[in-house]
Amino acid sequence: MTAVLLETRGLCKNFGALEVAREVGIRLEAGARHALIGPNGAGKTTLVNLLTGLLRPSRGRVLLRGEDVTHLTQAGRVKRGIARTFQINQLFRGLTVLENVYIAVAERMGVASSMIRPAGRRRDVIDQALRLLETLKLADDAGRRVAELPYGRQRLVEIAIALGLEPRVLLLDEPAAGVPGAESHIILDAIAALPDEIGVLIIEHDMDLVFRFAQQITVMVSGEIFAEGTPTEIAANRDVRAVYLGSAAADG
Amino acid sequence: MTPPGFAAAQALAARHRFKWWEVLPWVAAIAAFFLFPTYLSFGTQVLITILFALSLDLVMGYAGIVTLGHAAFFGAGAYTVGILALHFGWNEPLSGLVAAAVVAGAIGFVSGVVLLRTQGLALLMVTLCTMALLEESANMGAAYTGGFDGMPGLEFAPIFGVFQFDPLFFRAQYLYALAVLLVCFVLVRALVYSPFGESLTGIRENVLRMHAVGAPVQRRLVVAYTISAALAGVAGAVFTQTTAFVNLSVLGLDRAAGVLIVLILGGYGRLYGAFVGAVAYMVLEHTLAKAYPTAWQLGIGIVLIVVALYARNGILGIAETLRGRLRMRRAS
Ligand SMILES: Nc1ncnc2c1ncn2[C@@H]1O[C@H](COP(=O)(O)OP(=O)(O)O)[C@@H](O)[C@H]1O
Ligand SMILES: [Mg+2]
Repeated sequence: MTAVLLETRGLCKNFGALEVAREVGIRLEAGARHALIGPNGAGKTTLVNLLTGLLRPSRGRVLLRGEDVTHLTQAGRVKRGIARTFQINQLFRGLTVLENVYIAVAERMGVASSMIRPAGRRRDVIDQALRLLETLKLADDAGRRVAELPYGRQRLVEIAIALGLEPRVLLLDEPAAGVPGAESHIILDAIAALPDEIGVLIIEHDMDLVFRFAQQITVMVSGEIFAEGTPTEIAANRDVRAVYLGSAAADG
Repeated sequence: MTPPGFAAAQALAARHRFKWWEVLPWVAAIAAFFLFPTYLSFGTQVLITILFALSLDLVMGYAGIVTLGHAAFFGAGAYTVGILALHFGWNEPLSGLVAAAVVAGAIGFVSGVVLLRTQGLALLMVTLCTMALLEESANMGAAYTGGFDGMPGLEFAPIFGVFQFDPLFFRAQYLYALAVLLVCFVLVRALVYSPFGESLTGIRENVLRMHAVGAPVQRRLVVAYTISAALAGVAGAVFTQTTAFVNLSVLGLDRAAGVLIVLILGGYGRLYGAFVGAVAYMVLEHTLAKAYPTAWQLGIGIVLIVVALYARNGILGIAETLRGRLRMRRAS
C-alpha cells in the first residue's frame, strides 16, 4: 500500500452563485504521476488554488500526509512540501533566471529574511539554484532576464522555481500551455525527468502527454469529479469520451 | 571551459561589491563643501532630501509599495526632535536622531500593519489619509507643536559636545547631514543587496509568486515599511536640527509629492536615483525660481512630463541605456 500524500474531502467552492468545486475528493499518492483533465472552466485551476491555500474552500478539508492544512496559509503549506506552477506565467520578469530560482531556494533554506550578509555571499543558495538550472538545461540562460527568454524557456523557469522549494507534492497547471510545438519537447523532457519521490499532479490538455505520463487520471467536469482511473480505464470510459474527449476532439 | 551559469553566479556574487564610481557622490559632496561655501544651507537641504528619497526608494523602488504619504514619517521625526528640545530639554543631536527613528519607525510599524493589507489606489488613499491625520494632529496639538506657527528658534547642543551648529554658513550642518546620510546609505545599501532585499524585489516583481514560494509577504512589507519610516524620521530630524525650526510644512502633501518626484526623476529602485534626483530637482528648482519667480513650477512640470513620457526610469535609466548602447557599439 502506498502512502496518501495529499487528499481532499468534500471540498466545495463557490464564486457567488457559481459552484466551481462540488464535493471534490481527490487523492494523490507518494511518487504519483497523476493527471487532472477536463474542459476549460471545469475548475481545475481552482482546485490547485484550493490545495495551495491561494483560495479558501467554502466547505471541506485539505489533508497533507494526514494533517489538516485547510486553514494554513500558502507559506505554511509550502513549508510542508506543496509547490505549484501557474497556468499563466507568474515570474519575476525583471530579474535574471538565476535570481528567480535564488528567491525560491533562499525561502526554502530559511535565509530569505536575512538582512546583513549580501545575497551574493550565500554560495550555498547560489550553488543549489545553479544545479537546479543545470538539471533543467537552463544554466546557459542563468544570467538573462526572464522577460527576454522565449516563452517555452519561461515555462521552464516556472518549474525551476517550484522545484527550488524541494516539494513533496508538485502541482503543474498546464505546464506546456502556450508553448509553440517546436519548443514543447523541452517541457515534456523536464516533466519526464522529475525526481521519482515527488508526487506530481499535472493539469494538461495534450492527451498524448497525459496518457504517456500519468498512472492515474482524474476527469473533472463543472466542478465535479466525473471519472477516475488508470489511463486504460479512462480511455475506455464511454462517458468520458462523450463529455470530454469528444468535445476536445470537436474543438480540434 | 567554464560551466554554463558560472558567469551569472559570479555576477550575483559580485553584485554587492563596491564599484569605483560609488565614491563619486561623496567626493562631489566634499568638493561642494569647499567650492560653494555660501551654498551650504542649500546643500544641507539637498543632503536631507537625498536621505528622505533613499528611504522612499526602499519601499517604493524595491518593495513596490506606492505611497503618497511618506512625509508622515519625515514630519514625525522632525517634530520628535523639536518637541524633545523645546519641552524636555533633550537637545543632544545624535540621541535625538535615535529618538526620531524610534518614533517614526513605531508609527510606520503600526500604520504598516493596518494599511499594507491594501494595494494600489486604496493604499495610495490610506497613506495619504495617515499623513493628513498626523498633519492635523500637529496643527491641533499647539501646546506641544506650536500649531500652525510651528516651533521657531530651536536650539541644539553641539555634535559630540564639540561641533557647534553654525547659524551663518551651515558648515557643521552640512557635514553633519553628510555623515548621517553616509551611515544611513551604507545601511540601506546592505539591506537591498541582502536576501531580504532580494525578496522585497520579488514582492515588487510578482506578489502572487512570492506567496507561492512561501514568503511571509505581509511581514516582510511591514519590516521594510518600518525601516523606511525610521530612516525618513532621521531625515526629518536632521531637517529640524539643522534649520533650527519645524512647522507644518514637514508633514504636508507638498513634501510627500516632492520626494516622490525626486525619486522618479532620478530613477527608483536604483539606490543612486535618490542622489541624482535630489540634486537635479533641487538645482533645477533653485535656478528656475531665481530666473522665473512666478512661473518656475511650470518648468518643473514640463521636465516631469518629459521624464514620465520618455524616460520611465529617470535620469539613471537614461544613463543605463546610453551605457548599454556604447557597449553594443564597442562589441560590434
Ligand atoms: N476568482 C474568480 N472569481 C469568479 N469566478 C472565477 C474565479 N476564478 C475562476 N472563476 C470561474 O470558475 C470557473 C472555473 O475556473 P478554473 O478553475 O480556472 O477552470 P479550469 O482551470 O478548469 O479551466 C470558471 O467558470 C471561471 O470563470
Ligand atoms: Mg485552468
